[in-house]
Amino acid sequence: MPEDPYSLIERWMKARSFLVIGKSVTRADAIEKILGRAKYVEDFLDGALFAKMVLSTEPHARILGIDDSAALRIKGVRRVITARDVPGINEVGYALPDQPLLADKKVRYIGDTVALVVADDFEAALRGAEEVDVKYEPLPHILDPLEAMERTDVLIHEENGSNIAFRTKVRKGDVEEGFSKADVVVENEYRTHRQDHIYLETEAALAVPGLDGRLTVITAAQHPHLAQKIVAKVLGVNWSDIKIIVPYLGGGFGGKDDEGPLVAAKAALAAYLTGKPVFLEYTREESILVHPKRESTIIKYKSGATNDGKLVAAEITIIHDTGAYANRGPFILWRATVHATGPYKVPNVKVDGYAVYTNKVPQGSYRGFGNPSAQFAAESQMDLLAEKLGMDPVEFRLKNLLRPGDDTATGQVLEDSVGIAEALEKLAKVADWKRKRETYGKDTGRFRRGIGVAVAWHGISTSRGVPDWSNAYLKVERDGSVTVHTGIVEIGQGSPNSSHRQIVAEVLGIPPEKVKVVYGTTDAPDTGATHASRGTTVGAIGPFIAAAKVRERLERLASELLHAPVEQIEFVNGIIKVRGTDKQITWEKLIDEAYKRGVEVSATGYFFLPKGKFDDEKGRGFAYPAYSFIAMIAEVEVDTWTGVTRVTRVWPALAAGKIINPQQVEGQIEGAVAQGMGYVLMEQFVFDERGRILNPNLTDYVIPTALDMPQVMKPVYVEDLFKYSPFGAKGVGEMALIPAPAAIANAVAHALGIRFTQLPLTPERILLTLRGEK
Amino acid sequence: MYYLLPDFRFVKPETLREAFRELETEGAAPIAGGTDLVIDMKVGRRKPDKLVYIAHLPELNGIRDAGDSIVIGAVTKLQSIVDSELLRKHAPVLPEAVNEMASWQIRNIATIGGNLGNASPAADTAPPLYVLNAKVVIKGLGTERVMPVREFFVGPKKNALRKGELIQAIIVPKVAGEGVGMSYVKIGRRQAFTLSIVSVATLVKVEGNEIVDARVALNAVAPTPVRAPHVEEALKGSKATAEVVMKAAEEVLKDISPISDVRASKEYRRLLSVALTRESLLTSLRRAGVKVEV
Ligand SMILES: Cc1cc2nc3c(=O)[nH]c(=O)nc-3n(C[C@H](O)[C@H](O)[C@H](O)COP(=O)(O)OP(=O)(O)OC[C@H]3O[C@@H](n4cnc5c(N)ncnc54)[C@H](O)[C@@H]3O)c2cc1C
Repeated sequence: MPEDPYSLIERWMKARSFLVIGKSVTRADAIEKILGRAKYVEDFLDGALFAKMVLSTEPHARILGIDDSAALRIKGVRRVITARDVPGINEVGYALPDQPLLADKKVRYIGDTVALVVADDFEAALRGAEEVDVKYEPLPHILDPLEAMERTDVLIHEENGSNIAFRTKVRKGDVEEGFSKADVVVENEYRTHRQDHIYLETEAALAVPGLDGRLTVITAAQHPHLAQKIVAKVLGVNWSDIKIIVPYLGGGFGGKDDEGPLVAAKAALAAYLTGKPVFLEYTREESILVHPKRESTIIKYKSGATNDGKLVAAEITIIHDTGAYANRGPFILWRATVHATGPYKVPNVKVDGYAVYTNKVPQGSYRGFGNPSAQFAAESQMDLLAEKLGMDPVEFRLKNLLRPGDDTATGQVLEDSVGIAEALEKLAKVADWKRKRETYGKDTGRFRRGIGVAVAWHGISTSRGVPDWSNAYLKVERDGSVTVHTGIVEIGQGSPNSSHRQIVAEVLGIPPEKVKVVYGTTDAPDTGATHASRGTTVGAIGPFIAAAKVRERLERLASELLHAPVEQIEFVNGIIKVRGTDKQITWEKLIDEAYKRGVEVSATGYFFLPKGKFDDEKGRGFAYPAYSFIAMIAEVEVDTWTGVTRVTRVWPALAAGKIINPQQVEGQIEGAVAQGMGYVLMEQFVFDERGRILNPNLTDYVIPTALDMPQVMKPVYVEDLFKYSPFGAKGVGEMALIPAPAAIANAVAHALGIRFTQLPLTPERILLTLRGEK
Repeated sequence: MYYLLPDFRFVKPETLREAFRELETEGAAPIAGGTDLVIDMKVGRRKPDKLVYIAHLPELNGIRDAGDSIVIGAVTKLQSIVDSELLRKHAPVLPEAVNEMASWQIRNIATIGGNLGNASPAADTAPPLYVLNAKVVIKGLGTERVMPVREFFVGPKKNALRKGELIQAIIVPKVAGEGVGMSYVKIGRRQAFTLSIVSVATLVKVEGNEIVDARVALNAVAPTPVRAPHVEEALKGSKATAEVVMKAAEEVLKDISPISDVRASKEYRRLLSVALTRESLLTSLRRAGVKVEV
C-alpha cells in the first residue's frame, strides 16, 4: 500500500543517525515565555461580561428552590442561570451519566455548582452570587468510603441503587494455590490521600459568540475536542458550531482534563444565553473546592514469595473514594487495578477494585492516574518481602521484573519494549546502591539517612480496547516553511513546541525553525487529549506520518530533478543531495518545483493504534499496547527530633523508548519528582465533619518550593523502542511521579526501621509514630 | 483572579499628625504593606471603612543607632531588617528570624509594625523581640506610651493599641557581646515561605561555665507568642552543658498551651516545642562560645 502508516513507522524506526532527534533542541515557546509575552486565557479578556459560580454550601441536600430576585436587583447583574436554563443536555459525566453541569435536583458536595451569575463587571457578578438564595433540604451525608459501601439507606445517587459506582477485576491463575507455595507472606492495608494540582493558572474560559463564525471558547482544557463535545451537548447545537481554542496553559496535570470542558461549558452557556462574550475564572479557593483531585485510596494487599525469591501470588483489594461523582473514577480505578502487581511476573493474581461515592469533592485525573497509590502499595510490599527473605531489595526485584516475552497480570504477553530490568541494574550502579544500603539505616543519632528504591510501569494510550488514534494536518507553504495542525495542547510540557517540531524536521530533513506547530485547536482533527503521557508517543504520530508521506513524494520528485535513484537521495538540513556526488538542490527550490509540477505537499497523518480485547467478566486480556517503565532511587535524611524528612538525592532511570529531547525529558522528571515529593511529605487536605475542605488556599495547602527540592541526578535511559510510535518513543510525562511516593517511603523505612503504610509522611506523622503516640 | 474587596475609603495623609486625625474616625485602620490586611479583606475577615496609609511617613521609617539600643521605625520593611548591619551585629536573632519569613518579594513590602499590629500567635518577629526584651513605642494624637513587646500581644489577632494609636517604633537593646549567644529555629510545613508550626528564639549569657541569663520565647503554641519562664529558671545559674539544656527544655511544656488546627496537632506542637527549644539553646550556647555536643 502506498503511504501505509505501518511501513512509514518501520522505515524511520530503523534510523541510526539523526539530525535533531535525541538532541536538546530549544523549544519554540522558550523566549516568549521567558519574556512574559506568552498569552494565557485571561490575557484575551477584553470587554466581556463576568460570570461567577454559586456553589453548594451543603454536602448532600435536595434543592427546594433558587431565589434570584435579590441578585437581579444588583446593578449590573444581567442574568442568573440554573439547570432549568440549559438548552441542551445538562448531564456531563465522563465515565458514567451521573453528573449535572449545574446541580438540578440535589447537591452532592460542598462545592457543587448550583447557578451562574452573569454581570457587566466582576464586582456585580461577585455581589450577585452572594445574593442568590438557594433553599436546601439537607439529607444525611457520608464521608467514609467504607461506610458508604455498606449503606443503602443513604444513597448519593439513588438511580444507582448502591454507593458503589464501579467495580473492576483482574484474575490470573489461582491465588489460593499460589499462597500455598509461598514461604513468606506479607499482608497490609495502605492508605493514600487526595492531592490538588495547584496549577499556576486556575480554570478559566472566555466564550465569544460569533467569533470566526461560531461560538468560540478560549479555554484552559487538555482536550479541545472533548470541550467542543461538552459545550455542544450543553447548548444542544452541532459540534461544528463550536470552536475551541486552547492557548498556552498554565499547567494541567490532569485537572484540566476533567474541569477544562466544564469551565468552557459554563462560560459558553452564559454567552449563549446573553449573546455577549462571557469570562469565567475560578479563584484559587473555588478551584480547590470544585475540581476533582488525585484518588484517595484504601488498598488491602497480600503477597507471597518463595525462599528463592520468586513472587507466587498477589491478592489485592482497591477502594477509591470517588467523591460526589464518578467523573473519570472508573478509568482511574481500572488503571490502578491493572497496574497493582507492579511490573512483575506474578503467576497468581486476584485484584478487585471499587470506586465508591461519598459526599466529598470528586476524584479525578492527576499525573499517574491511579498508579502512584497502587505502586506505593506494591513497592512497599516488595521491600517487606525482601526483608523477610533476607534479600537485597534490588536483587529481589531483579528476580521478578518483567522481561520481553513475559506475560502481565492480565495475561497479556509483552513481546518487546520491556527495558525495566536493565534500567534498574544500571541505576543501582550509578547510585552506588549496595554500599549505601549497607551503611545507611545504621545511624543512631538525631539525623538518620536512608535509601530506598521503587520501580513502576505505566500503560501507554487508553486502556483495553478503547479506541485511540492520532491525527494531524501538515502543509508545506510555498516558501518552504511548514505548518502543522494538531489538537495536542501546550500545557508547559513542550511537546508541540519541541518533540513535534523535531520529529517533523527530522523526517523532512529541515531545520526545526522552519516548522510551526499550531496546537490546541478544534480546527485541527481530533488528536485525543494531552494526558496519559501521550502528547508525543501518540500525539506526534499524526504529524510524523503526514511528514513521512510528504517526504516520500518529495524524494520521488528529487530523484527526477537530480536524475538519481530514490535510494540515493538524502535530506540534510534543508539541502537535498545525491549521496556521494555534488548534485544537490535546496529545500526551498524543491518545494517551489513541487508547486509547479503538481506534487501535493500537504497531507493528513492518521494512525489508529492496534489493540486487543479485555474480558471484563473474566478480568483477563489485553490492557495496553505497551508500557513505559521507570526505576527510582531516593536518598533521605530524617530528623528524629522534629520528624522532618529531607529528600537529598533522587536517581531516575527511564525505559521509555526513544528519548526525543533529553532536556524536555529532564524537565518532566524534575517536575514530577517535585509533585511526588510534595505529595508524600507535605500536601494534604483537612476536611471538616461535613466534608468541607478547611484549607482551600495556598497558605494552608502547602506544596514544595525550590528549597525543598532534592538534587535530581542525570537520568539513566534504556531506549526500549515501541513499535507503534514516532522513532519508538514511549510516554514520559507522568513517569517520575509514579514511583516517587514508594521510593521515598521505602527510604524513610530504611532510615528509621519503621514502615509507614499511610501517606503523607508529614513531620507530625513521623514524630508521633517515633514517640509511639500514633 | 477576582476577589471582592469591601467598600472602603483610602487616604494617604501628608503628615503623621494628619494620619492620627484620620485614625480618629470609627472603622479606620492603618495600612502599611497590606500583606495581612488586604488578604483579610479579600476573604471577608475584616471590613474597615477607611484605610489610612502610613508606609510613606518618614517619622515611622528607618533603623537608627541610639547608643545602647537600636530604634526600628514601624514601617521599616522586613528585608531592611535582614540587611541591617547594625541589627546583625547587636541583635542578630532578629534578622535571622525575619530572614525565615515569607519570601524576598513579600519582605520588600511587609513591615515589622504590621507583623506586630496583626498580632498573630505565629508572628515570626515576636519570639526574637521577646528574648531581646524589646519595647514598642505607641503614639497617639498627643500621647505616647512605651511597653514591652510581650505586653503588646493580648490575644489571637488582638493587640494593646487603643483607638487612634499607632506603633511608631520598636526599641531593641544592644545585647550581643562576649559570652552572649542567640538563635532562632523555625519549623513550618516546608523549608521556606510558610508559617510557623512552632518557632523558638533563645538568648543565653554565659560567664565562665555558668549560664547567667537565659531567655526563651516561642510562637504558635498559645493565644499569643510566649516567653518560657520555667525553662529560663531551670537554666539560670546552671552549668552550660548539653545535659542541662536537654533537661531544662522539657520544662517548656509548663509554659505553653497549644491547640490543634489545620497546620498541626497540639501533640505535635508539644513535642516540637521541646525539640526546638533544645536545638535553639544548643545553638545559642555554641554561639556564646561554649562547646556542647549531643
Ligand atoms: C505570602 C505571605 C507569606 C507570609 N509569611 C509570613 C511568615 O513567614 N511569618 C510571619 O510572621 N508572617 C508572614 N506573613 C504575614 C505578613 O506578611 C506579616 O505579618 C507582615 O509583617 C505584615 O506587615 P504589613 O506591613 O504587610 O502589614 P499590614 O497588612 O499593612 O497590617 C497588618 C495589621 O497591622 C496593622 N498595622 C500595620 N502597621 C501598623 C502600625 N504601624 N501601627 C499599628 N498597627 C499597624 C494593620 O492595621 C493591620 O491590622 C506572610 C504573608 C504573606 C502574604
